[in-house]
Amino acid sequence: MAELIASILLLAGAVFHLSAGLGVLRMPDAYTRMQAGTKASTLGNTLVLGGMAFLHPGWTLKLLLIIYFVLMTNPISSHALARAAHRIRVPMTPKTTVDALRDAGEQSRGGA
Amino acid sequence: MISTVVLVTGLTLILIGIWGMLTHRNILRIIIAFSLIGTGTHILIVAIGYVASGTAPIIDRSLSIAKAPMRAVDPVPSALVVTAIVIGLAVTAIMLAFAIRLYQAKKTLSIDAFTESRW
Amino acid sequence: MIRRALIVLAVALFGFMFAGLSVHHVERQSLPPLGKRYVELVPQERGAPNVITGILLTYRAFDTLGELAVLFMVAAGVGMVLGGREGDHANRLSDATPPPRQASEIVGTGAQILVPLIAIFAVYIIANGHLSAGGGFQGGAVVASSAVLLLLANPKQRFDQQMLASTEAMAGVLFVLVGVAGLIFANGFLDNRVLPLGQFGTFFSAGAIPLLSVLLGAKVGCELSVIIDRFRT
Repeated sequence: MAELIASILLLAGAVFHLSAGLGVLRMPDAYTRMQAGTKASTLGNTLVLGGMAFLHPGWTLKLLLIIYFVLMTNPISSHALARAAHRIRVPMTPKTTVDALRDAGEQSRGGA
Repeated sequence: MISTVVLVTGLTLILIGIWGMLTHRNILRIIIAFSLIGTGTHILIVAIGYVASGTAPIIDRSLSIAKAPMRAVDPVPSALVVTAIVIGLAVTAIMLAFAIRLYQAKKTLSIDAFTESRW
Repeated sequence: MIRRALIVLAVALFGFMFAGLSVHHVERQSLPPLGKRYVELVPQERGAPNVITGILLTYRAFDTLGELAVLFMVAAGVGMVLGGREGDHANRLSDATPPPRQASEIVGTGAQILVPLIAIFAVYIIANGHLSAGGGFQGGAVVASSAVLLLLANPKQRFDQQMLASTEAMAGVLFVLVGVAGLIFANGFLDNRVLPLGQFGTFFSAGAIPLLSVLLGAKVGCELSVIIDRFRT
């Protein structure tokens, strides 16, 4: 029974990792690629490690710690990367309609 | 079988790094290709030391002192790679420092702009 | 055009050579003689459960000392290439970069939580070098990564260059002093039997290996932090 749950979780995690890789390949510009890569791969990590916890119940605390670390570091690092890319004006795909960061920057500079 | 797969992975990484170093014109991409060659070499060295159905050479609950010479993997290549990784980081740092200096001199990151050493 | 063809030819030749290497590769069935001697000797004579760290800090400790010298040279080289004249106009990377902006609040908050955790993790890796996978080099690299996080969260942060430089120098001097003590009190330079071997597998065991690991980790961590600090514009 535990093996069944573990296998389903591991398979789901692998599928999310595959979609992360596909997203990084096929997305039009840098920002959408970063979003696809981070979100899908963080979730894939969590699912794979959760599946391992069902297979080896003795490792549960260590695996929960690892999931916590991954959840803390992955989004923060991709956030820093995306802000740096926006600052050096990496071009966005023409389908983008809203640029909230640039509007917020102009507002703060114009208002202050 | 396992060590052959890891060996081929390391050699493929070295090949990709060589191709990248020869093709690209941007300095930063050449540095990344250099780092790839380094990583591929580390994987290659560790793969050479694998003993069939062996385990890590660390004595703990699962590997006793008496059984270690029979079941452990060769420790010498791993010891070589440990220092090689840190040295690879340091060499990449020097290359990046040179890239910054070159950019300050010519305001471009393409190596086609630096023609002083070419015949 | 001709350059393209030459590149393809070079890569194809390398690929051919590598394919020949991997086809004739035969997996080892038993340890080679040198590896076997090390796996037998290190736990019994030197009292270290981790054979790899035992090799790096006892039988091949002189090579580790040379490694430290190479790292020091690299740090000095980066300092020379990038330091130069501070505040000189030629040093400004580009006049077109936008004015520096405040670091993001998310990164700052995340750094407040993560830097202590990373530091504890680094100390754990360094201190457990002789018991399980780990050691001075690996822990030193993790210390440098916590320095990177600090710099990312607060770009105006000033590292105390004096403290880093003197810590690094003291760690190197102490390393050599432990080695000389090995000459005087035990069998040879950097022999780890200057301190008692203790009970196999406990924390305070394996002679001078934990002490050497700590010194090594401190030196490597300080060196890599100094290198990274130089890259700040």
